[in-house]
Amino acid sequence: MFRHTPLRYGTLALLAALALFKAVTADYFGLEILTEILILAILVIALDMVAGFGGMVSLCHGALMGVGAFAYALLTVKAGLTPPLALAAAIGITGGAAWIIGAICARSHGIYFIMATLAFGQMAYSYVFQTPTFGGDDGLGGIARLDLTAFGIDLNDSRTFALFCLAALAASYCAIVGILRSGLGRSLTGIMHNEQRMRALGLTVWRVKADVFGLSGMIAGLAGALAAQHMMFISPGLLSWKVSGEALVVVILGGLGTLVGPIVGAAAFVLLKHEVSALTSYWHLVVGVILIAVVMSRANGIFGWIETRWTARKATRRTGPADAPLKEARTDA
Amino acid sequence: MPDPGFWTLQALNALQLSMLLFLLSIGLTVIFGLMHFVNLAHGSLYAVGAYVAASAAAVGGYWAGFFLAPVAVAGLGILLYSGLIRRMRRSGPMAQVLVTFGLIFALLDLSRLIWGDLALSIELPALLAGRTALLGIEYPTYRLFIIGLGLAIIAALAFVLGRTQIGAMIRAGVDNDAMAACLGINVERLFFIVFCVGCALAGLAGAVAAPLLSVTPDMGLQILIPTLIVIVIGGLGSLKGAVAGSLIYGFVQTFGAVLAPQLASVLIYALLAAVLVIKPVGLFPAKG
Repeated sequence: MFRHTPLRYGTLALLAALALFKAVTADYFGLEILTEILILAILVIALDMVAGFGGMVSLCHGALMGVGAFAYALLTVKAGLTPPLALAAAIGITGGAAWIIGAICARSHGIYFIMATLAFGQMAYSYVFQTPTFGGDDGLGGIARLDLTAFGIDLNDSRTFALFCLAALAASYCAIVGILRSGLGRSLTGIMHNEQRMRALGLTVWRVKADVFGLSGMIAGLAGALAAQHMMFISPGLLSWKVSGEALVVVILGGLGTLVGPIVGAAAFVLLKHEVSALTSYWHLVVGVILIAVVMSRANGIFGWIETRWTARKATRRTGPADAPLKEARTDA
Repeated sequence: MPDPGFWTLQALNALQLSMLLFLLSIGLTVIFGLMHFVNLAHGSLYAVGAYVAASAAAVGGYWAGFFLAPVAVAGLGILLYSGLIRRMRRSGPMAQVLVTFGLIFALLDLSRLIWGDLALSIELPALLAGRTALLGIEYPTYRLFIIGLGLAIIAALAFVLGRTQIGAMIRAGVDNDAMAACLGINVERLFFIVFCVGCALAGLAGAVAAPLLSVTPDMGLQILIPTLIVIVIGGLGSLKGAVAGSLIYGFVQTFGAVLAPQLASVLIYALLAAVLVIKPVGLFPAKG
């Protein structure tokens, strides 16, 4: 089950303070990067909920985000729905699609689960790519942002939009923590640790998996609808498996199953991408080498590494240095 | 209704695509079956093979590239094995997927660094450049060459895996590696040999594909998904599965594109999803 430690609270507070500070002081380019980080963070915590707490390593979350983006865009541009309705519908549609994928894939495990989700993601990608209604290769433009002028908020201002995305991230985070602490979330973690035993306890395993996958899909749909509003233009490339793969890389870089880690990972990934691509066009090489190094170090990502260090140091302080190696070995295991 | 020649042509196209995919998927599937190692960078090795072939062909003609590419990629495989993969053998599948995912990124940019962003191409030798009359149609000789090469390699692998001692050792290792090790088989060395052969076949596939497609840095990424689909449909670890999966992919893709262009790309993924739902471990897995 998910627990908040002082370290996690501290990191969250620090991240929120940094984001708020940037949202107030940054220039236009800085705000664009901040918004990109926030939207990616929403997507990766949704992925961490299923991958880190349910063992469902999904390679279709990028596609789910794309479904949310296209649903929002089509409903506002072509069907003429008002943005708030379209936003709710996009979240619902993505959640429904994710529920179906989760229900079908629930029987698969390990590499087969990854492949099955990849297949569904690619199916959505190919379908959107080849259907003229979706704009095909050209994509769709002219997407309107949510109109909150009634509350005195103008989302067409990029500073306000960044703050809006920050609020959405905070809401998604709270929702995920709530889900993970509920009976559903506890069942999910139980299934990850021992599916056989949970089934023997009388649990309908596939329903739990599908429900959580659907909820995760809703949050990915929210990320997609925000991404569509952010860029005001979408292309099928949003659904490609490379986006899903990148999301998975971010979760791992940050720390699988820590929920706070993936947010750190999202910030690190986007900043790294922009910093390195400003210096050289070979940023993939840098990201690849960092990824290999992180995995080879056997730490659970950046945040997992910090957490291990933190608990090891606390243990040393409490019990004296003589016991330290033993404690460290135990936290590593 | 199109004439019979049209169907022959499409069937040959499908067969040629199948053989190319087979060359890639057999290495990947046996490596996975034997080592439980998911090498996502297999497609990148194929791209490196294509680049080596293109460079060698520019100097010494097509055949230089054809023979050099498998050797060079096997060499790269040895480097990867001793540097990375041997250390990752004991870690879980997730870590392996991620390390090889990182390798994809790194190899993609390394090949861009070495060979640049522009697409390269290879001149065919005079022997394979023309067209051959076959079953009432004219078909490019080079594509027939690919089909023949694929069939020859299937036959050779079927012989080695089914009739020789090393084949029996590999099958024993796939079935139960701990028991095979107890019987005195050096499983670790077996892994190494299989890994090198798999890499060499990936390099060969790259060299063979280079004249058909233009050689670009992301060709490894483009072929990765079809290869994974092939091995998951076919079932991991078996020659039969790789052959069946390649044929299914090749024919569904080719005839899908001809008969229902709108659905073609969705069709293969729908098929994959159906296979995974009905037989979650593929059609012909090595282990029952």
